[in-house]
Amino acid sequence: MEQKELKTFVQTVLTEASTFEGYVIVRAQSRREWSMRLSNGRFERVSTGEDHGFGVQAFTESGATGFASSDVLEKEVGRKLVAKAIQLARRNEALGTKLNRQIWDTSKVIAEEVNPAQKAFGEVPLADLEEQVMTLHSRMKTAFSQAVWQTSYRQAEEVWCIGRTDGTLVSFAVPRAVLMHQGTVRAEGKAQSTLSHRSGMDASILYAELADHSLEEKAVNRAKFAQAVCTAPQLPSGHYPLIIDYGLAKGLAHEAFGHAVESDHMNESVLGEKGKLRIGLRVARPGVHIIDGPLVGDWAYQPYSANGLLRETVTIVKNGVLEAGLGDVFSGPEAGMPVTGAGRAESYTNVPLPRMSNIRLLVDRLLPLPSSLPLMDEVKSIREILLTNGELLEGQKNLLLLGYRGGQVNPKTGDFVFQCDGIIDVADPDLAIYQPSIFSGKILSALEAIRGGLGEGCFDAIGTCGKGGQAVPSSGGSHRYLLMDPDQQVSLGGTLG
Amino acid sequence: MKLVAQLEDLFYRCQQAPKDENLRLSAWRLLVNESQVVSLGIKDNSPGGVYTPPSYRQKESGEVFLVWADGTCSEAIVQLQPQSTAEFWEQKMQQWKQAAYTDPEASHIPAPEPLPLVAVEDRIVREIIEGDDDVIFDLAKQWLEEKPDRAKVQGSIQAAWGYRNVRTSTGLAVTYQQSQFVSWFSFDSLVGGGFAKRRLILPEEQKKLWAQTVKRYEALAGEASAVNPETQVIFAPAMTEELLGQFIVPNFSGERVIEGQGAFSKENFETHKEVFHPQFSLTIDPLQPLEIGSYMVTSEGVPAVQTTLVQEGKLQTPFLRVKDALRWGLKPTGLPHGAAGLYLRHTVEETWNKILSTIEDGVLILSVLGLHTQDAVAGSYSLSAPHSLRIIKGEIVGRVDVKLSGNFFRDLAAATTRLGRSDLSLHPYLVVRTGVQKL
Repeated sequence: MEQKELKTFVQTVLTEASTFEGYVIVRAQSRREWSMRLSNGRFERVSTGEDHGFGVQAFTESGATGFASSDVLEKEVGRKLVAKAIQLARRNEALGTKLNRQIWDTSKVIAEEVNPAQKAFGEVPLADLEEQVMTLHSRMKTAFSQAVWQTSYRQAEEVWCIGRTDGTLVSFAVPRAVLMHQGTVRAEGKAQSTLSHRSGMDASILYAELADHSLEEKAVNRAKFAQAVCTAPQLPSGHYPLIIDYGLAKGLAHEAFGHAVESDHMNESVLGEKGKLRIGLRVARPGVHIIDGPLVGDWAYQPYSANGLLRETVTIVKNGVLEAGLGDVFSGPEAGMPVTGAGRAESYTNVPLPRMSNIRLLVDRLLPLPSSLPLMDEVKSIREILLTNGELLEGQKNLLLLGYRGGQVNPKTGDFVFQCDGIIDVADPDLAIYQPSIFSGKILSALEAIRGGLGEGCFDAIGTCGKGGQAVPSSGGSHRYLLMDPDQQVSLGGTLG
Repeated sequence: MKLVAQLEDLFYRCQQAPKDENLRLSAWRLLVNESQVVSLGIKDNSPGGVYTPPSYRQKESGEVFLVWADGTCSEAIVQLQPQSTAEFWEQKMQQWKQAAYTDPEASHIPAPEPLPLVAVEDRIVREIIEGDDDVIFDLAKQWLEEKPDRAKVQGSIQAAWGYRNVRTSTGLAVTYQQSQFVSWFSFDSLVGGGFAKRRLILPEEQKKLWAQTVKRYEALAGEASAVNPETQVIFAPAMTEELLGQFIVPNFSGERVIEGQGAFSKENFETHKEVFHPQFSLTIDPLQPLEIGSYMVTSEGVPAVQTTLVQEGKLQTPFLRVKDALRWGLKPTGLPHGAAGLYLRHTVEETWNKILSTIEDGVLILSVLGLHTQDAVAGSYSLSAPHSLRIIKGEIVGRVDVKLSGNFFRDLAAATTRLGRSDLSLHPYLVVRTGVQKL
């Protein structure tokens, strides 16, 4: 369904609510997705899918909310859903809910964003995509036959239209595509898996990969590394100087810091005090910055919030000082932060929550790093650069953490954990490899430990954020690597029983 | 016209007398779910706030699998098209045909077999959906009235009901009603309790769950002595469920075993390799009445059946969908829904209270950070577990923050691992000797 059709439908539903004395937000979404998965040289699955529907969030005059959604885009269903949402909102009022009238203070927005995709969804026929992905998959076996390879490709297009009682009508399209190679390797009876991806807006990523093979090279390097990890020893638990790659840095910025500055978390966040963001708090050394905002062409791109506000780029930390949070219309003001359009929802069936888009952790103190080297050559290069610049902390292990497998944080306590694919001691001339082990600690200590960066900015580390049970694309990064001092509140590893 | 009827009609026509011979089907199957959900959340002691309002959701969607006359197949996700015409569906068929791929083993549609009688619907949940929803609002109110004074409550209550329709070209046509009731609450986002079944929670279950959670919340208020390498680790039932979901489910997927992407090989299963301690067994049981993992028939039209994955510590079979069963040379098996429907058993099982009384030096793990980041194939874990409960001489004495390092396969293979039954969960407490140290 196109933007124009969705807009017409949203206007129709708003008309149904025109006699309601409260406030209504209507969110309509249309989604198309093509996906395929190949294993060991054959297709395991090719799937096409469509989903469209709408949600109505109603507010009584006093500010109590009710929500209703349906996957039937019909005027009659629109009428019923408006009535249902209003009925639930009134029921909620009687329950003694916390009232919220912030939406009345929001300015009207009219916007229709052009779809930024270079190749429209469906421009490349599915049969052609299948052929290209099969070619790319087949190359993996030739490139590194010791791994069992699974390749998947997914392209999706979401079209959103958000309308509000105040006449706001915003529509935009979000295209995204990802190609992934997952390799499973074995050595001495032990197995490890590794996942590498290349993301973008559309099928252009397949053409780019066919031309430059950059994902193939990365996947093969990571599979060889995983093979070495299979038989590697475990690292003694401790507090070490660390070098983390940009995937892990994205994890640190997203899990350990971004969630803690989301406006709906201020009553519980370690970065909140009496429900307000602790603006002005020093959280890192001078020269450390954290920025969140949508980037065109990025996996987590979204130009407007799911409440119909412009999504702004926010400098969360500037020169080590907490400067702003990610505020949505409903909790931003109460949390003492500006409303920056941070509300995002997985789909029309969900109520939006404040959350990140693309989050970047940057430092001023930067060492150059040659780009496009094979993995272990790059590691050697890191060692040489650190030695040359007196950055290797002597007499101890200096550990490079490679690959980001995900993480989790408790914003209330500030506890975080991350997992990597494996670890290399760059203080050891032989570049000893260790098993992955948990990178954990307190978020403020981890930020405070960042002392510098290596290489250019890389912001294409992608993932799916599961906050509130909603799966929303997330992304971000940092310089190619970040350097961290040892800290007693940040540790690596544990001891096997 | 309902989606299931639209699709059935379309596929029969395309099988018997298609307008376009290129769109002739040789076989097909479809699954359509018609669901309605009512929910209410609590955030920071406020019921039904702007992020957790009382909500109603309705959806009618499904998935289709088509085998074309030339032997290729297509898969698609579909949803109700109220204004759809014959032309609309013809166009869809054209699109699906374009997406066709070759997978001979996937194209088998099983013949219908007698279905087991499994209770998967609670009429009371249907009444909630139909408007008699006081039970949801009353439960939220009760939580807030009875919460510990200082606690900040987060929570959610959700009732779902609907029809599940499965149809195949081989003659299976089944429609049945199913329901779900899922609720959870937490205090200060540190400790919580949850319930998920196909029936409403009983007052006595709610009471027990609440009392247990309050007791643990109070215990977390006091600091306890640090753990040592000899401290026994006890995974609470919710943790056992998560560990099974992370390490067991992916490695017992027939597809992953066949493709060499799991922890165990096909040969391991064929030779019944011993991978757990002989006292352990692992079963999929979708026949249990009103359990969340129970069902009557899979989306592929296979009747629910109990399946033993591990018997006396030895591998028996992975779980097999139709395609994987054909490749393996066996019948399709029962399927788990996440870790729901998966039952870990031990020949010596005692109640949790009895097990607790025997623990001299232990730590009860209620939750961990980062389990989803662990390598499922390796089975290893390296986790942080802040806010765990210290056990000394059979008593829970206070809070301790720990770090765990070990391997779940090794835990299940160890003679020292014990299992305690919970009366609030189908999943057991697991008492293991694993790496534990102060966080």
